[in-house]
Amino acid sequence: MSVFRGLVGLVALLLSSLPATARSITDAAGRVVEIPDRVQRVLAAGPPASVLVYVLAPEKLAGWVREPKPEEKAFLLPAVRDLPVFGQLTGKGGTANMEAVLAARPDIIVDVGTVNATYASLADKVQAQTGIPYVLIDGTFARSAAMLRETGAILGVPERAEALAAYADEKLAALEKSLAAIPAEKRPSVYFGRGAEGLETGLSGSINMEILEAAGARNAAAAAGKGGLTQVSLEQVLSWKPDVILASSPKFAHAIKDDPLWRELDAVKAGRIHVAPALPFGWIDSPPGVNRLIGISWLEHTLYPEAFPAKLDEDVRTFFKLFYHVELDDAQLAGLIGRDADR
Amino acid sequence: MRVFLSRLPAAVLGLAGLALLALFSMMIGKYGSGPGPLFAALRQLVTGEGSDPLLATVLWNVRLPRVLAAVVVGAALAAAGATYQGLFRNPLVSPDLLGVSVGASLGAVAGIFLSLPVLAIQLAAFVGGLVAVLLVTGVGMLVRERDPVLTLVLAGIAIQALVGAGISLIKILADPYDQLPAITYWLLGSMTAVTRFDVFSILPALGIGFVPLVLLRWRMNVMTLGEEEAQTLGIDTLKTRIVLIAGATLVTAATVSITGIIGWIGLVIPHIARMLVGPDFRRLLPAAMMLGAAYLLVVDMLARSIASIEVPLGILTATVGAPFFLWLLISGKRGWS
Amino acid sequence: MILTVKTLAFGYRDREIGHGVDLSLQGGEVLALLGPNGAGKTTLFKTMLGLLPVKAGEGLLDGRPLSGWSRRERALRIAYVPQAHAAPFPFTVRDLVLMGRVAHLSAFALPGAHDRAIAEAALENLGIAKLADTPSTEISGGERQLALIARALAQEARIVVMDEPTASLDYGNQMRLLAHIRRLAADGLAIVLSTHNPDHALQAADRVALLKDGELTALGATRETLTPNALKTLYGIEVVIGSVPGSDAFVCAPRPG
Repeated sequence: MSVFRGLVGLVALLLSSLPATARSITDAAGRVVEIPDRVQRVLAAGPPASVLVYVLAPEKLAGWVREPKPEEKAFLLPAVRDLPVFGQLTGKGGTANMEAVLAARPDIIVDVGTVNATYASLADKVQAQTGIPYVLIDGTFARSAAMLRETGAILGVPERAEALAAYADEKLAALEKSLAAIPAEKRPSVYFGRGAEGLETGLSGSINMEILEAAGARNAAAAAGKGGLTQVSLEQVLSWKPDVILASSPKFAHAIKDDPLWRELDAVKAGRIHVAPALPFGWIDSPPGVNRLIGISWLEHTLYPEAFPAKLDEDVRTFFKLFYHVELDDAQLAGLIGRDADR
Repeated sequence: MRVFLSRLPAAVLGLAGLALLALFSMMIGKYGSGPGPLFAALRQLVTGEGSDPLLATVLWNVRLPRVLAAVVVGAALAAAGATYQGLFRNPLVSPDLLGVSVGASLGAVAGIFLSLPVLAIQLAAFVGGLVAVLLVTGVGMLVRERDPVLTLVLAGIAIQALVGAGISLIKILADPYDQLPAITYWLLGSMTAVTRFDVFSILPALGIGFVPLVLLRWRMNVMTLGEEEAQTLGIDTLKTRIVLIAGATLVTAATVSITGIIGWIGLVIPHIARMLVGPDFRRLLPAAMMLGAAYLLVVDMLARSIASIEVPLGILTATVGAPFFLWLLISGKRGWS
Repeated sequence: MILTVKTLAFGYRDREIGHGVDLSLQGGEVLALLGPNGAGKTTLFKTMLGLLPVKAGEGLLDGRPLSGWSRRERALRIAYVPQAHAAPFPFTVRDLVLMGRVAHLSAFALPGAHDRAIAEAALENLGIAKLADTPSTEISGGERQLALIARALAQEARIVVMDEPTASLDYGNQMRLLAHIRRLAADGLAIVLSTHNPDHALQAADRVALLKDGELTALGATRETLTPNALKTLYGIEVVIGSVPGSDAFVCAPRPG
């Protein structure tokens, strides 16, 4: 009898000293990371990661990189609106306080964005210092569906991820099909003016213009070459003669309607100035995450009004319900997308 | 106000104070402030048992490296500042004068832009700082029959402008979501992710750099008399100056490579130290080092506790340092109260 | 003869300031160098001190060419008392004088009891021991000049070169300084000083050298060499030189009318 009890005791001791079950995954940088089988709390290292975790598993989100503004909170689940703020963990000199990160006791840290040697070594460093598994995920827009599936598997929400990924696949496939039918001449050249002055834009290949280019638009600023964000002059914009102007700031949109210099542009004369919606996360560029999927719908509708019948409202409602977990009422919907410059 | 503190008791007092401050700093943090966590972690270290496995990580992997870094970096920057102020015979210059910070920035920014691993970025920063000063002193040696000190300052200004332009260029080309914030935060200086390895990795450079500063501490006094007087008193001013600049640059470049740019310590701390113990470098050097270490300890404590996110160190040191500097200028105190 | 220059040409890399200078310094005497502004006095001194290279001719220190000595060895033999001393830092007078010992110490050495004793003695010699703990930025110009001379004494060099030591002093201090200089020469030092004031030469110097446009126009014992003619050649003004009745003093005054 005592032998049996002894055996039970021994097995119990052994079982209790086993680590919580874990699995190995390979992240986008090729790093093999051990993560817990069940991931309950996730810390997002930067804004695109915040979006990704929020859409996949809002209940697992440990906190924000920066506090959402009141108008953004209106479009987020109540439970996440007041989560703590941790700052950016993007490596050396990010603003996250390491102790706060540790105190939050996340199971893993997720970082979505560019994957290269710098971020891989930073991930290794943070992981070595804190002991928290750090997972890098490639945030390229074309990979949206794959990104959703991979991260869903990591977070333990594969069915949900599949639903979102299917949406992304479908959307992108439909887009490609429709675009194939639109000849090159009908594709507008678009100038995306950022900031209050509207004189900041992304050059060809910049991450800000990623979905613009995916939506078939020609980046008017491509004439100035390849690169990232840059300041341009009014003269340059006038010389590019864009067909459509997208504004990140309503101030810019309003200002140019009455500005005699900007009014030289056909786009302004024709009233083809549109303010890119930005709630709760930017629809076109910032942050560069899956939030941009709804931007595709909006761009289709805005750039090719004839080719894409007006079902933007429905699209937005579906997206917001599926991704952001919120039901939009008419007022909210109108507020979101009815923000074009007045005609 | 000038209190020339007598040597030995003051040194002992200073070191004791510093140790206490470091201990206090180990007890501050978002994970849990107060003596509790520290003692619990110590007990864990000794007996191997404890209720919170993360405590050891917080105390030894997060807090301790920061405390060590603050002491070492604060002391190094203050020592470099005191050296430069003496060499350039001006109580209001900083170790950045010859371009070490801007050169290190270019190295780091280029490393970030080229997506190099972190260790390579740190190395690039270190090398960048050394190369910038090398360029400046090289130019200084080419020019003869002008005041060598003035020549160095002017060459420093020119090289800094050139390098600064390079940094701005890279910032424009950088990816605004990943690289640019990394670059900006690097330039603002912080110790958020400093590890024990980081601190140990710069100890050799610091050690080598400190050697000439300590050994030549009395000759440093003579160097402050100016080129002609120092030469006629029997010093090879060229060699002495080069060795001292090399030492100060090594320690500055080493610290900048792991923490980014932390300004104002090299400028303001030696100044305060001089007001307390006088200009004799034999006293000024240790006093500045202790004050610098203490100052950065305090600033670092603030950086990680006054807001929910980390406040970059450069912002805090400037917020405290710049008004003090202005007050010095306006009140007419010129470093010799 | 400890320092000798023979047909010395001196100047900067791209221009010659003077040439053909022959003179020598001996222990126990004061040599005054007079000349108008721009004559080259300071440049000559810098060459003698080794701050500028000899352009032509010879400069010999204790029999060896100036360039053959290291800076340290030169400092053990020649000391420099500059005219102006811009002090950015408030070293005490004692610390300032102590710095004169640097040539006697190896690169990493700190001054010891012996060095401190010598510095104290130098301070006593010039009567400024009471200023020892005062910051050098808080003493008067005259006191500072004495401190610099004390530093030269602490250097234990047998030759002292003084560049216009009386320049920024009031009359009383000027006289006192000259008295110190005479006394130091009497103790065995070789002192060469530059001055604009013929009276100072008449009072303190055993010999004078007159420098104009980089060349020596005269060299010799003071009273014989410093004549109204010589001064006319030098400065272009008419003077009278003579003794004051009832004393040994010789003075120089502009000729009236």
